[in-house]
Amino acid sequence: MNHVLFVALKMLLQRKRQTVVSILGVSMGVSAFIVMSSLMLGFQNYFIQQVIDLEPHIKVKPRVEEKEREPYTLLLGEKPEEKDRILGWQDMVKYIERNPEVLGVAPRLVSRGILKHGVRDKPITLLGIDPKREPKASIVEKFLVHKNLQRLETNRTGVIVGVLVGKSLGVDQPGKKLLLVAPNGRTLLVTVEDLFESGITNIDDARVYINIKTLQSLLERQGEVNEIIIKIRDVNRAEKLSRAFQSFIPYQVESWQRAYRNFLSIFKIQNTITYMIVFAILTVSAFGIFNIIMMTVLEKKKDIAILMAMGFNRGDILLIFMMEGFVIGVMGALIGSLAGFALQEYLESIKLDVEGLIRTRGFVLERTPLLYIYALFFSLFFALLASFYPSYRASRLNPVDIFRSQ
Amino acid sequence: MKVIELRGIRKSIGQEEILKGIDLSVQVGEFLAIVGASGSGKSSLLYIMGLLDKPTEGEVFFEGERVDFSEEKRLSELRNKKIGFVFQFHYLLPEFTLLENVMLPAIKLGMKKDEAEERAYELLNSLGLGGKERRRIYQISGGEMQRVAIARALINSPSAILADEPTGNLDSKNSQRVMEIFKEINRRGTTIVMVTHELELAEQAQRLVEIKDGAVLSDRAIQRA
Ligand SMILES: Nc1ncnc2c1ncn2[C@@H]1O[C@H](COP(=O)(O)OP(=O)(O)OP(=O)(O)O)[C@@H](O)[C@H]1O
Ligand SMILES: [Mg+2]
Repeated sequence: MNHVLFVALKMLLQRKRQTVVSILGVSMGVSAFIVMSSLMLGFQNYFIQQVIDLEPHIKVKPRVEEKEREPYTLLLGEKPEEKDRILGWQDMVKYIERNPEVLGVAPRLVSRGILKHGVRDKPITLLGIDPKREPKASIVEKFLVHKNLQRLETNRTGVIVGVLVGKSLGVDQPGKKLLLVAPNGRTLLVTVEDLFESGITNIDDARVYINIKTLQSLLERQGEVNEIIIKIRDVNRAEKLSRAFQSFIPYQVESWQRAYRNFLSIFKIQNTITYMIVFAILTVSAFGIFNIIMMTVLEKKKDIAILMAMGFNRGDILLIFMMEGFVIGVMGALIGSLAGFALQEYLESIKLDVEGLIRTRGFVLERTPLLYIYALFFSLFFALLASFYPSYRASRLNPVDIFRSQ
Repeated sequence: MKVIELRGIRKSIGQEEILKGIDLSVQVGEFLAIVGASGSGKSSLLYIMGLLDKPTEGEVFFEGERVDFSEEKRLSELRNKKIGFVFQFHYLLPEFTLLENVMLPAIKLGMKKDEAEERAYELLNSLGLGGKERRRIYQISGGEMQRVAIARALINSPSAILADEPTGNLDSKNSQRVMEIFKEINRRGTTIVMVTHELELAEQAQRLVEIKDGAVLSDRAIQRA
């Protein structure tokens, strides 16, 4: 191995400029991979974490005919569908609670509605909850600005509104009085008891919590429930468990993964696009490496022939030239990792309001060392792949042909 | 004892047969000169003797071992340990100093770097290159380059030195100097096979083989006055 290094290291110093360019190419691929992955994973993991915290891990709901309807036509005076209820929910809750993987179960009555404040109004999703049971099955309190969940118990006309709902209505403090319009046309004067901020735009912009009893009487659906939410120990088991529950529950049982499958599949596409970009960058640098080694081999035919004459075998020659690819790969990975690290630091230091699928102050980055390990692995893989063919060609040269052609 | 033995060696390139059945043995300690017209097949013969090229037909024995030309590793190993090549062109590597060039075969053999360096120093010094060890090839003369190449061929103390027109690029003074070095090496027991155009140099060897059209035309010992 010594003799391979002895020769390879000297030969590497040839074609300095091209080698530097190749190393930079690999570094770019590596830093792009690290930064883009950590941004994407950071965003996605944040989103998923919020979803897991906010949304039921598993939800039981009536099987609604999945007709797409305009939300506004539904709002205006349409009767709640006959099927929009869960019969025997008390027994079902008891049954589910017995499962050791289940941490808590709570019933809900969910409806649409409109909130009015002065001249402004806002279509909303009303979640009728039992303030005693709800915290067992969701960690809604974590997202409350004033932690006033129990006010819904004491004040039966209290509501908790999403911050963006509040914003549209010009409400940013508890205590404001709003008019709630139910789909059946009945109205109720409610008081804002708290605001709710999750960071997930579509949730903060629609959700309003109210006491389930209040909602039941407003909708004239006494004792009715149309959703059961379940919190479980291991969120990754949600899909499996939901299938198990499904076998004895005559309603639709849906895991959070299923409820958010559109987002999850968008994330997959997002990841694929990123990896394709990184792949393209690395492919370009691989061609660079290929080129350098091929040119070096052609230029150094004589040297290869004499090395063979003095006893270097084909394997030695192969390794000598692959070493070039290896060094470029390692150097590229090192520089790229440093650049990636610096970029991560920079991105994390920026404070700005991000408004989109999620709202955060600044970028959320996933900074796992795994990304660096993957990057090293990819860059080495590409560099070695690119250097193999020209190195192999070098190792198959016939020294006699070269000596004769002098 | 034979260092190299060729039996019925034939070599064809395409349709053309360039070696036509050569039987030749080189004894241990011999200094053999091979002469012949240009294109007669001298280099081709030397490549086969040096295990760099494989014959189309026939057998090669190296120190009694029948050479299997499909065993590339073994061929390389034999070349590394037992054979030293000197060509018309020096083929020194431009990235390396003279010292490093000489060390290369020893490093490949697995010698420690210090030891290889010490041997290379000694050899360069004994060939009149003392003080120039750290130079590069473009900083020395053609005659000096060829002596560096000889030092490189010698570093692993090979059984045989195979030289293909080692003086082809040198003036008569430098040519004679190379000859003196070869004679001295030979006196110390290393077998030498040298291909040359120049009869004057060839006659300083002990045995003269003449090749014509890929066959041995004559093979005689050289009488000294
Ligand atoms: N690649 C090749 N293809 C076809 N014929 C070749 C090839 N290489 C060499 N030959 C032929 O083989 C013959 C022997 O060549 P070789 O180089 O061994 O001769 P030589 O005696 O060393 O000549 P010189 O004194 O010019 O070096 C020549 O006739 C040459 O034309
Ligand atoms: Mg020749």
